[in-house]
Amino acid sequence: MSGVSPRLGAFGEFGGRFAPELLTPALEELEAARRKVIPSPSFREELDREATEWVGRPTPLTTAPRFSDRAGLEIVFKREDLLHGGAHKANNVLGQALLARRMGKRRLIAETGAGQHGVATAMIAARFGMEAVIYMGARDMARQAPNVKRMELCGARVVAVELGAQTLKDAINEALRDWTRTLETTHYLLGTAAGPHPFPRLVRDFQAVIGREARRQWRERFGDLPDAVVACVGGGSNAIGIFHAFVGDPSVALIGVEPGGEGLDTGRHGATLVRGTPGLLHGARTMILQDDEGQILEPHSISAGLDYPGVGPEHAALQASGRARYVAATDEEALGAFEALCVDEGIVPAFEPSHALAFTLRAAGSGEIASGSRVLLNLCGRGDKDLETWFGLGRSPARAHR
Amino acid sequence: MSLPALRAAFDRPGVALSPFLVLGDPTPRLTVELAAAAVAGGADMLEIGFPYSDPVADGPEVQAAAQRAFAAGVSTRAGFRILAEVAAACPGIPLNLLVYGNLVHRIGYREFAAAATAAGASSLLAPDIPLEEGGPLRRACRRAGLGHVELAGPLTPPDRLRRLAEVSDFVYLAGFQGVTGVRRRGFAEVLDRTGAARAVLEGTGVPLCLGFGISTAGQVASAGAAGARIAVIGSHLARVIRRLYRGPEDAATLRAGFRAAVRDLNPEDEAC
Repeated sequence: MSGVSPRLGAFGEFGGRFAPELLTPALEELEAARRKVIPSPSFREELDREATEWVGRPTPLTTAPRFSDRAGLEIVFKREDLLHGGAHKANNVLGQALLARRMGKRRLIAETGAGQHGVATAMIAARFGMEAVIYMGARDMARQAPNVKRMELCGARVVAVELGAQTLKDAINEALRDWTRTLETTHYLLGTAAGPHPFPRLVRDFQAVIGREARRQWRERFGDLPDAVVACVGGGSNAIGIFHAFVGDPSVALIGVEPGGEGLDTGRHGATLVRGTPGLLHGARTMILQDDEGQILEPHSISAGLDYPGVGPEHAALQASGRARYVAATDEEALGAFEALCVDEGIVPAFEPSHALAFTLRAAGSGEIASGSRVLLNLCGRGDKDLETWFGLGRSPARAHR
Repeated sequence: MSLPALRAAFDRPGVALSPFLVLGDPTPRLTVELAAAAVAGGADMLEIGFPYSDPVADGPEVQAAAQRAFAAGVSTRAGFRILAEVAAACPGIPLNLLVYGNLVHRIGYREFAAAATAAGASSLLAPDIPLEEGGPLRRACRRAGLGHVELAGPLTPPDRLRRLAEVSDFVYLAGFQGVTGVRRRGFAEVLDRTGAARAVLEGTGVPLCLGFGISTAGQVASAGAAGARIAVIGSHLARVIRRLYRGPEDAATLRAGFRAAVRDLNPEDEAC
């Protein structure tokens, strides 16, 4: 391991721009646009208008009395599952597509794991009359088939990536290769708060609306702040989106929940912050899953959206500074929490936030959070896309009933 | 071969032919034999890649070469052993390493550079560690007596190209905007870019290397005429290995075919 701090866009020892020189022109152009265009009043106005009428902002806070009772906590959900497209991804694609349009780019490319970011990209491309090409691992295409159809319905071309484990990491590699060829006409609409500078800041700033809204709503409704904010972490865009507004509130614990897969000791997981080591992946110095010779390991999670061997560099920095802490929930725990939320609250969550839900179900008992704590949980996506997988497991929701 | 030998190579006239091989492709032993075959076929230098799980700058042929190396059980540690054997089998031949940043970062910049020098490498290029982030790696290379090479592309502006040259023993120009791979069209533009880059580097004393998309002796010769001192042939030769390799028991066909493929790339032979 090298104790090497990045120079561009660093978050402490993490971040940077570790991308081939051939991408430098595109990354510099994007950084210039980020600084110049995003603060302009006309951009803010357009972003706010589209966020209201197309994305469906603001989303409500929803109390969850029966689920809270089960958990021994007071849990309130930020309902990003109610956004257009069914996940928080719409916040980011709207912002980046508006920026791309102002940069004169008419073609969007994107990677997708669970398909939520691919669907969101396909939808915004349709709305703005842009071309969309979505790279998706062949294995993910099989397990998230409904989302593939939704992308194609919206006019996007979905390219199957047959390399590696055929999941999110491989889709990002292919999208980066496409962008290297096409950057003069194409914007790479990266879906998570990872990648080379300026992507981690760009994506965070478009997702930070989640935490800004939630913090204001919580104060209006309860007059104070939550004890803890909890979100699932794959690449980490929904988590950084809800954490960001609370980073300056020292009384609020920030807790990210990573995919523990079949268990942290089985080696079949995607818990990069809990079990990873520092390295360079997809343009950033961050925590990654790698072997002792530097080859990237294949992660595992039942959730295609969390099945990634890296994580956004700002999370690595928040962990290193101690401001946020990161834990893991297994596939089995996530499935149990998925079923519990369905029967308790009539909400069908995606498998991704089911990991955050699973943590809250065990946290009071395990002492990871004090019993009775008031928790804001980012319910970042709805579970329609996961129903087929759940049905295929032959489980019964009855086991969730007390 | 050491860094001084790399510099000595630039004192000789003409364009240096530099075939690319991935350590362990298709087997550890055959990498060494193919390196020797390349030198017998007229190679002046060798580009040596470490296999990496996520080679974002590489197209399908070089990706497949890395997969063959993995299938032969080769990763970074075994790569260094093979590298030392290649250096021993190819005395006097400069070896430029192409290695993705995470492999270097994982071992440690200083440790990796020292091990590369000890194994006989002359210089190193990390395609995903660009100018701004490269300071610590460049210092590690200098400390180890290992040359350092920066990558430039078709869209790299002249002032940036000059800054790259200031920190490089030679500048590796990617002739095409994209990933590595053989191209059927567009080589005239590559030559224009090569000439323009050479003009920018004029007076710096830093040689220009051209890579990406070269697959014929005519292209090597015209790259030299346009001002390149090194021509790298990667995907074209990776494809030769993919097509000729039928297993370790039939290595003679591969060795002979590879040597012939390198010989066919020599500009002198073209003139005959």
